[in-house]
Amino acid sequence: MDSEDEIGIDSGNSSDDEDYDFMQVDEIQRQSGNAQDPVEYPFEVLTTEEIVKHMLDCIAEVNNVVEIPATTTRILLNHFRWDKEKLMERYYDGDQEALFKAAHVINPYVKPKRESKTFRCSMMEDCDICFLKYQYTNMTGLQCGHRFCKSCWVEYLTTKIMEEGLCKSIACAAHGCDILVDDVTVMSLLTEPRVKTKYQQLITNSFVECNRLLRWCPSADCSYAVKVQYVDARPVTCKCGHVFCFECGEQWHDPVQCRLLRKWIKKCDDDSETSNWIAANTKECPKCNVTIEKDGGCNHMVCKNQHCKHDFCWVCLGSWEPHGSSWYNCNRYDEDEARAARDAQEKLRSSLARYLHYYNRYMNHMQSLKFEHKLYSSVKLKMEEMQQHNMSWIEVQFLKKAVDILCQCRQTLMCTYVFAYYLKKNNQSMIFEDNQKDLESATEKLSEYLERDITSENLADIKQKVQDKYRYCEKRRKVLLDHVHEGYDKDWWEYVE
Amino acid sequence: MANMAVSRIKREFKEVLRSEEIAQCSIKLELVNDCFTELRGEIAGPPDTPYEFGTFLLEIHVPETYPFNPPKVKFLTKIWHPNISSVTGAICLDILKDNWAAAMTLRTVLLSLQALLASPEPDDPQDAVVASQYKENFEMFCRTAKHWTNSYAKGPHKFPDFDTKIQRLKDMGVSEFDARAALSRHNWDLNRATEQLFS
Ligand SMILES: [Zn+2]
Ligand SMILES: [Zn+2]
Ligand SMILES: [Zn+2]
Ligand SMILES: [Zn+2]
Repeated sequence: MDSEDEIGIDSGNSSDDEDYDFMQVDEIQRQSGNAQDPVEYPFEVLTTEEIVKHMLDCIAEVNNVVEIPATTTRILLNHFRWDKEKLMERYYDGDQEALFKAAHVINPYVKPKRESKTFRCSMMEDCDICFLKYQYTNMTGLQCGHRFCKSCWVEYLTTKIMEEGLCKSIACAAHGCDILVDDVTVMSLLTEPRVKTKYQQLITNSFVECNRLLRWCPSADCSYAVKVQYVDARPVTCKCGHVFCFECGEQWHDPVQCRLLRKWIKKCDDDSETSNWIAANTKECPKCNVTIEKDGGCNHMVCKNQHCKHDFCWVCLGSWEPHGSSWYNCNRYDEDEARAARDAQEKLRSSLARYLHYYNRYMNHMQSLKFEHKLYSSVKLKMEEMQQHNMSWIEVQFLKKAVDILCQCRQTLMCTYVFAYYLKKNNQSMIFEDNQKDLESATEKLSEYLERDITSENLADIKQKVQDKYRYCEKRRKVLLDHVHEGYDKDWWEYVE
Repeated sequence: MANMAVSRIKREFKEVLRSEEIAQCSIKLELVNDCFTELRGEIAGPPDTPYEFGTFLLEIHVPETYPFNPPKVKFLTKIWHPNISSVTGAICLDILKDNWAAAMTLRTVLLSLQALLASPEPDDPQDAVVASQYKENFEMFCRTAKHWTNSYAKGPHKFPDFDTKIQRLKDMGVSEFDARAALSRHNWDLNRATEQLFS
């Protein structure tokens, strides 16, 4: 079943709803993440063990073609950022000697010119690090021929790994020698488990960071990595549930593009002092000035002062009344007002006001998104209550889905304000702003229903009402995203930067 | 202090004592304390440089992790050089940072510092003022460096005009080092040095 087919069907018939509800939670998330993408974007989520296996597979694959030691292959692959094709291409087309030199390894085809072992065995050798004399067998080195005693090697590698956090780029301990120490040599010399573990972590980490087709899940405390077949600004869903953009690693940010999002985030960081006050979670009731704390995601505020009970919009602090009706007008920056400000020769203030307008709404949805996570627990209670009233587990899943959709809409809305901030006004941008307004209004209604009205509602009516609302949200979200994507295809969007 | 570091320093000591540079009096190494962590180095200014005939003292601190980390070295003798701070004696030299190798020794460090005196690298400066003087007014740089070598490192070249200007500032209550540094920084322009000192 394709989730896109369902969007727009507002009928009360619930036969196809069941299909929805049967889906596993992560499947719903994956589908909704990809819903607006016509072409599938295949990806895999890898555990640390799978990453290591993948790394060994890459080496084996190259070794099937190129007959060089695996340790050399690993260093070469790392040099080419784990791009197998590029390595093969350079290996067969170019100057191999130069290739080995650039990757800081000794050409494995050239036999090291070393005196015969039997002759050496009888001799004592000086270690240039500790200045002590050793039997030949207690000394070791790389192909470059620089030899040191084993205990000096261990000390040296331990310092590099534990203090400098190096792994792939540990060079020979001799002065001026840049030949890299391979992983097999490192692992065979190290004895302390603590250092060995750290080394393996560093190797895995550098493999993921070097490899264009891999990216660590940016979520805190998550140790999965996502592997793709080609790099693109597409959403990928980690096993931990985090949905992020593969190209830039930020939380999935459709409809705004990576470049503008990055620019916006930088601007927000730079301007954080001026905008800090907006992010605060308290405001005063515009009527009675009682301090009101925002404790939910819904922007429809009701003053807690029993004698006031003023209804207002958290975002614009205007009366709520118009927001509830058809002309929801909280999303569009009033150009006239801005012009008036410019006329007053307050250019600076006006551009700040413009920025704050978008920043305020962006932050507001971000804050709401955080609060919606509280909704999951309150909705869970409601679901339990409904199950006690003869509804099956499957039948009550629509409530969880409603919160999922609410979160997606908030995430999209957040990003629409970044897009809008950089957007130059034209006919299409007006349509975009209308779509934004519609989605915002639909989202606030869903939010308000789930947060407030649901408690007083008859259990039997809830399902129908919630489904109507979230389907409408989904529909508005799709309309908005499709329109922006069409604009990308047809070059409608011009930016102010 | 780690055993390895101690045994290394002991052996290095012998190496320096046996070396031919010692015989030529061009480098010297002494212990400051008994635990081998603090040492004093000495290098002779290389011939055909403004530092010729000068003797430069170095403070050497050997870290616990020596020889896997480089020794910390700075000039105790005041010196006018693009890669050495004229105020603190801190040195900008790759082998004392990322290019240190465990197989290098204090002897190689001392010889490298001597080489640094012979060929400064003004594009990677420690003291930006000295470096720009080196690049823009080499003649002035040489005279200044010789003057510093004479004042602090027992070098032979005297510059009476410099001494007069320093004396003028000393008469105004400025310390000798501050006067010399300010004048050196301003190409021995007394007015500008005075301005800097009293602003
Ligand atoms: Zn050794
Ligand atoms: Zn080597
Ligand atoms: Zn994750
Ligand atoms: Zn992105």
